[in-house]
Amino acid sequence: MSGGMLYGGDEIGALVFDPGHHSLRVGYAQEDTPKAEIPAVVGVAPDEAIKLEAESKPDDSNVSSQSQHKYYIDTTFLHTPRVNMELHSYMKDGMIENWDMFEKILDYSYDKIIQSESHYHPVLFSESPWNQRQKRERLTELMFEKYKVPAFFLVKNAVLAAFATGRATALVIDSGATHTSAVPVLDGYVISNAVVKSPLGGDYLILRAREMLEQMGIDLTPAALIASKDVVRDKDKPRFVKKKLSFQPSNSWMTYMVKKTVQDFQQSVLQVSESQYDERVVSNIPSVHYEFPTGYHQDFGTERFKLAEGLFDHAMLGAGYIAATSAGMCDVDIRPALYSSVVLTGGNSLVQGFSDRLSRDLSVRTPSSARLKMIAANGSVERRFGSWVGGSILAAIGTFQQMWMSMQEYQESGKSQIDRKCP
Amino acid sequence: MADVRDIMELDRPGTPEITRETILGTDKPKKKFTPGTKISKRPEGMHREVFALLYNDNKDVPPLFPSDTGGNGYKQTKIKLGMRRPRKWEWMAFTNPARSDNATFYHWRRPSDDAKEYPFAKFNKKVDVPTYTDVEYQQHLTSDTWTKEETDHLMDLAQQFDLRFIIIADRYDTQKFSKRSVEDLKERYYKINGILAKLNGEKKIYTYDADHERRRKEQLKKLYDRTPEQIEEEQFLISELKKIEARKKERERKTQDLQKLISQADIQNDTPRKTDKKIPKKKLSNPRPSRVDTSYILQAVETAGIKFPDYKNSGVSLRSQRMKLPANIGQKKSKAIEQSLQEMGLELNPTATEDICQHFNELRSDMVLLMEIKSALETCEYDLQSLRHQYEALAPGKTLIIPAQLTNSEQENKINTGEIIDVVGSPGTPLNT
Repeated sequence: MSGGMLYGGDEIGALVFDPGHHSLRVGYAQEDTPKAEIPAVVGVAPDEAIKLEAESKPDDSNVSSQSQHKYYIDTTFLHTPRVNMELHSYMKDGMIENWDMFEKILDYSYDKIIQSESHYHPVLFSESPWNQRQKRERLTELMFEKYKVPAFFLVKNAVLAAFATGRATALVIDSGATHTSAVPVLDGYVISNAVVKSPLGGDYLILRAREMLEQMGIDLTPAALIASKDVVRDKDKPRFVKKKLSFQPSNSWMTYMVKKTVQDFQQSVLQVSESQYDERVVSNIPSVHYEFPTGYHQDFGTERFKLAEGLFDHAMLGAGYIAATSAGMCDVDIRPALYSSVVLTGGNSLVQGFSDRLSRDLSVRTPSSARLKMIAANGSVERRFGSWVGGSILAAIGTFQQMWMSMQEYQESGKSQIDRKCP
Repeated sequence: MADVRDIMELDRPGTPEITRETILGTDKPKKKFTPGTKISKRPEGMHREVFALLYNDNKDVPPLFPSDTGGNGYKQTKIKLGMRRPRKWEWMAFTNPARSDNATFYHWRRPSDDAKEYPFAKFNKKVDVPTYTDVEYQQHLTSDTWTKEETDHLMDLAQQFDLRFIIIADRYDTQKFSKRSVEDLKERYYKINGILAKLNGEKKIYTYDADHERRRKEQLKKLYDRTPEQIEEEQFLISELKKIEARKKERERKTQDLQKLISQADIQNDTPRKTDKKIPKKKLSNPRPSRVDTSYILQAVETAGIKFPDYKNSGVSLRSQRMKLPANIGQKKSKAIEQSLQEMGLELNPTATEDICQHFNELRSDMVLLMEIKSALETCEYDLQSLRHQYEALAPGKTLIIPAQLTNSEQENKINTGEIIDVVGSPGTPLNT
C-alpha cells in the first residue's frame, strides 16, 4: 500500500467482464488486455453425437436438465464443423438474452480462462447504456447466487470507454458489431435520454460485403472446409479440394463461418473515403489485393469505398449524424465539454479511415464556436477492448473499492439494490 | 556540471560551489580541488570528446599490463542495498471504512501497515443534502407545483447523484411525475435549501435565479443553433461594421486636417508665406527617404523658415509680441539669427511698427531658410561625394566626373539660394535684401 497512494491504484483481484455482440472479454482488473476474447456465440449439439473433444464440454453437472446438450465455446471449438451443431448468439440488442448459454460462457471463463474459483474475485460487468432493469437484476442475482462473487458492480460500457481514455465527461461513439451508438457521459454518468444508436455496425458492413461478393460470384467457402488449394492466377477460377465430411454442417454454422470469412475481407480491404464517396476521387486510390480461403484472389478498387460508405452515407444513421444528434439532446451547458472530448471506441471503428471521416462529418455539424476534439486510441487492442480496459482501470482504483455491491448488501437488500448502487 | 563546464569551455571553479553547508558554515573546509593535477590545455582544433578520451581524471598514464588492485580484483563488489531483510507483502483482508457494510476485500499489503486505516477512505466525500421532517414540510416547504412525493424524489436523486442536476433531470422518474427541466429542479432544490437554512438560523442563504438561467440557456441554445449561413452573415455584418467605422474615422481625420489647413491658411494670409499650403501636413511626416532621394531635402527647405504664430484672435496684445521668435526655434538657430542681424547692423529688437514687424519677421524667416538650404546643400554634396567614392570602388579605374554645375561653389550657391528663395517667396512681397 505504501506505493499505492501515488497512483491511486489498489488491486483486489477483481475480474472484468465486458459482453458484446461479437465477443465477451474476460480478464483481471489492472491488466492492460483481457485474458480472453470469447466469441459471443455458443455451439449447441445433441449429446448423443460422438464425443470428439471431451474437454470442450463444460462441467454442467449442476444443471441436470441441460445434460442432453453439448456446448461448444470459444474459437477453436466453434470453427470446427460438427454434426448437428447449431450456433446461437446469447446477445440481443446489446443485452444478454439467453441466460442459459450465458451461464455456459461464464462457466467456461472461470474454468478455462480465469482458472480460479469465482467466490474469490469481485466482478465488474459492463452493460449497454440501455440495459433493462430486470436484466440487470437478473445478472446480479446470477452472479451472487450461482457464482457467489464477494462483490459485484455494473457499469455502462460507454462510461468505461471514456474512463479508458482518462475522461469522466465525454461523448462516446461506440461502433460495434451490431450497432453504432453515441452516448454522452457526464462525470461518469450516462445521460440516458440522449443516447442515440443506429443499426449500422460491423455486421451491417459484413452483410453488404457478402452481398457484393456473392453478386460477383466469388466462392466464400470458409477455410475450415478446405482441405487443399492450388495457386491460381489473378481472377482465375479457384482450384481447391473440400474437406470430406460425412455430414452436412448446420446452416447456422455455415452462416457464421462465412461471416468470419467476409469479416476478414472487410477488415483487410474496406476503407472509408475521406469525404462523401466520389467515384472519380476514389478510383485514384490504389486497389488492395485480397485472397479468399478458396485461393481465389483479385484486386479491389472502388468497391472498398463503396461498401464502407454504407456506414456514413445514411442521412439519419451515419455516425457523424448520431453523434451530433446525441450532443444536441444534451443540456447546452455541457455541450462544449462533450464536443471537446469525443471518444471513439469499438472494433468497427477500426475500418480504415473511420475516425477521419467521423471527425470530418462531425465538424460540419458542430457549432463553429465549439472546440471539437476526437480521441481515438491508436492500438487496435485499445480500440476494440476500450470498455474492458476502462473496467480494468476502474476496478483497480482505490477509491472505487467502496462502490462495490457486496455480498452482505445483496443478502440484506436483495437484487433490486443494483439500480441504486450502479446508476 | 563538469561536463557542461567543459562544453562551455569554462574553467573549473576555484571555489567550491555554494551548498547548504557552506551557507550555514557547518561544513568542514573542503579539500581543494585536485591541487596536484595540472589541467592541461586542450590543443586547438581537437574535439572536446576526443580530448576527454585521451586522459583520465588524475592524468595518470594507464598501466601497461594488468595490475591487481587487491581485494576483489576485477570482480565488482556486490552492492549492499541495506542489510535488513526485505519487508513482506501479504495478500490480506481489509475493510474499507468508507463502506457501510464492512465488506472485506483482499489486497497486497505490508503487514506493518496493518494498523492504518484504508488510505482511500478519506476521499469518500458526500454532498450535504438537507433533510426535512413532515412537519417542516407542511409548515414551510409546500408548493403549488410540487407534491411532497415529488420533492422527496428530487431530494433522493440529489443525494444519489451529488447535485449533478443534469443527471438528476435525466434520471427523473418521468412515469410518476411530469418531466421537469434542469432549471425547475434547481429552483426547487435551492428554494428548499434556502428555507431550511433560514430555519436553522444560517446567515448566508443562496438563491437561485431560475428565470435568468432559463434566459441564458435559451440564448446559448440560439447561439449554438445558428446555421452556417447565419454565422457567415454575422461575420459579414461584423466586417462591414468595421469597415464603416474605419471610414468614419478616416473622414473625421480628414475634416480635422482640413480644419487645420484652413486655420493655417488664415495665418498665411496674414503673413505673405503661403507655400506651406502646398504641402499637406501628411507629407511632413515623410517616410524615411533613401539616400539618393533628395526630395526630402527640398521639402525641408520649402517648409523651412519661421512660422510666426497668429495673434489675431487672442484679444489685445502688444505688437512687439509678434516679433517674438516662436518656441520651436532652437537655441542654435536663434543664436545664428542674432549673429547675422548683428553682422547686418540691425537692431535685435526694432521698434514694432506694422511694417517693421512684418519685414523683420520675414527677414529672420529667410535667414533661417538660408541656413537650412546651406545645410541641405552640404548634405547633398556629401551624398554626391560618397556616391562618387562608391562608384569608384565598384568600378575601379573609372572616375566619375561630376558636372561642374553640381559641384559646390560659392557663386552657384548664391544663385541656387536665390532661385529657391524666388520659388519659395510668395508674389506680392518684395524679395528680401
